[in-house]
Amino acid sequence: MAKPIAKLRYDDISEGDEAPVLHHELTRTDLVVYAGASGDMNPMHTDEVAAKAAGLPSVFGHGMLSMGILGRALTDWAGVGNLKAFRTRFTKQTWPGETLTTRIVVTGKGQVEEGKRVSVDLTLSNQDGEVKLDGSAIVAAA
Amino acid sequence: MPLTPDQKKELEAKLQEFVGKPIGPPKAGRDAVNEPMIRAWCDAMGDANAAYLDPEAAKASLHEGIVAQPTMLQAWTMDGFEMHKGYDEPVNGVQRIHKLLTEHGYTSVVATNTEQGYTRYLVPGDEVTEETVIESVSEEKATALGIGYFIDTRTRYTDQNGDELGWMTFRVLKFIPAQQTAAADSGETAAAAAPARIKAPMGHDNAPWWNEVEQGKIPIQTCNQCGKLFHPPRPMCGECGAMDMGYIAASGKGTVHTFTVMHHPQFPGYDFPILAVLIDLEEGTRLMSNLLGCKPEDVHIGMAVQGSVEEGDDGMKLPVFRPVA
Repeated sequence: MAKPIAKLRYDDISEGDEAPVLHHELTRTDLVVYAGASGDMNPMHTDEVAAKAAGLPSVFGHGMLSMGILGRALTDWAGVGNLKAFRTRFTKQTWPGETLTTRIVVTGKGQVEEGKRVSVDLTLSNQDGEVKLDGSAIVAAA
Repeated sequence: MPLTPDQKKELEAKLQEFVGKPIGPPKAGRDAVNEPMIRAWCDAMGDANAAYLDPEAAKASLHEGIVAQPTMLQAWTMDGFEMHKGYDEPVNGVQRIHKLLTEHGYTSVVATNTEQGYTRYLVPGDEVTEETVIESVSEEKATALGIGYFIDTRTRYTDQNGDELGWMTFRVLKFIPAQQTAAADSGETAAAAAPARIKAPMGHDNAPWWNEVEQGKIPIQTCNQCGKLFHPPRPMCGECGAMDMGYIAASGKGTVHTFTVMHHPQFPGYDFPILAVLIDLEEGTRLMSNLLGCKPEDVHIGMAVQGSVEEGDDGMKLPVFRPVA
C-alpha cells in the first residue's frame, strides 16, 4: 500500500526538530535495481567479480543511492513538491548488509520571496554509527 | 612510476584546458520521464510515497498526478548501459579527463560531493536535456584515499520547452589508490590502509643522487673537473663552472651540526618524534637526515655519528645516522 502524502506546517516547526527516522537494509538487489533505474552502470556497484578484481571487498552502494534514501526521508516528511535544494558529501562507501539510518534535524526557518522555507542538516549512518553521507537541504513549508 | 615534474606540468596543463568548457553538446535523455523508471528507482530505496507510485492518490497532490522523486533528477540523462564504453573510448569531456588521468596512473575514482537544486518537479512525459560544464580541476591533492585531482562539474537540466528543471554540481576525486592491494587482503577499504613514507621527488638534478643511495652509498656530488664537493646536487660547479658532475661515497663519519625534535604535525607513515639532524660529514659537506637509536633528550650539537643506508618496510632506501658508542 502506498503511503499518504504528507505536508509540513511552518508554524509547527522549530529549530532542533527531527524528521521521522528511516531504516534501510542495503542489499545487492537494491544496487542492481538502482543501477538500472538510475542509469549508473559502473560495474563497481553491480559486478562482484569486477569489484574484487579492483581491490574492493565487494560491490558498494552508489553515492546517489544514499542520497536518494535521505531524499525519501526528506520528502516523506516535507511533502511532495517541497524539496528545493539538497547538498551532500559522500563520506564513506556503503556496503551490502549494512542497515542505513537517516537523521534530519531542523536548523532554521524563514521567509523568502517565493515562500516559507525550512533548512535542515542531515546524515545517513550505518548500524555502528559510521556516517556515510552528510549534508543539508532546504524545503518549503505551508 | 611517479611522474617527473615535467610530466606532471604537462598533465596539469592538459587538465586545465578542459576548465570552463562544456563537456559536449547538450544531451537529451534516452527516454521521457516515465512511471516504470520512477517505480524501479523507488523500489531500490524502499520509497513507498504515493506521490511517486499511486496515480489515484497522487491526483490529490499539488501536481495532480505522479511526479518523479526529486533526487532522481540526474537519472534521466544518464548514459545507462552505454556508459561502460566511455571508460575506454571517451565521448565527452569528463570521460576524456578520466581517461587522461587513468593513463597517468590515477586509476581510481570516487564521488565526494554533490548539490542539487529543484526548480520544478518532473512529471511523466517531460523530456529532459542536460548541459554540463567543467567548472574546475584542482591542483594535485593528498587525501586519505590517495593522491589525486578533484574535478568539479555543473549541470543544468531543462525541459522540452527549454525551461529549467533544476541543476546539479558534482565533485569527484580521480586518484592513485594509497594501498589498494593491502586493503583487499585485509577486507578494509582503501582509506583505512596504513600509508607509506612519502617518496622523494625525482628531478634531473637529484635523481642521480638517489640512484647512488639505491646502491647502498651515502653520495656526495663532486665536480669531475676541480674536485669540489656539493650538497644538494646541482647541474653546474659553482667553483669552476664545469657541467661535468659525478659522485663519491661518503665514509658516513660525521658530527651533529644542529638538530630539531619534531612532534607535530604527525604525518602518516613516520615514527614520531622524528629526530631531524643536520650532519657535518667528515668530507666537508652537510646532509639533512634522521638520527636513529637515540633518545630525544640525548642528542646534542657536536655529537659523533655514523651513517649508513637502511631500507624501510616499504622498500625505500634512505641514509640515516646513529650515535657512535
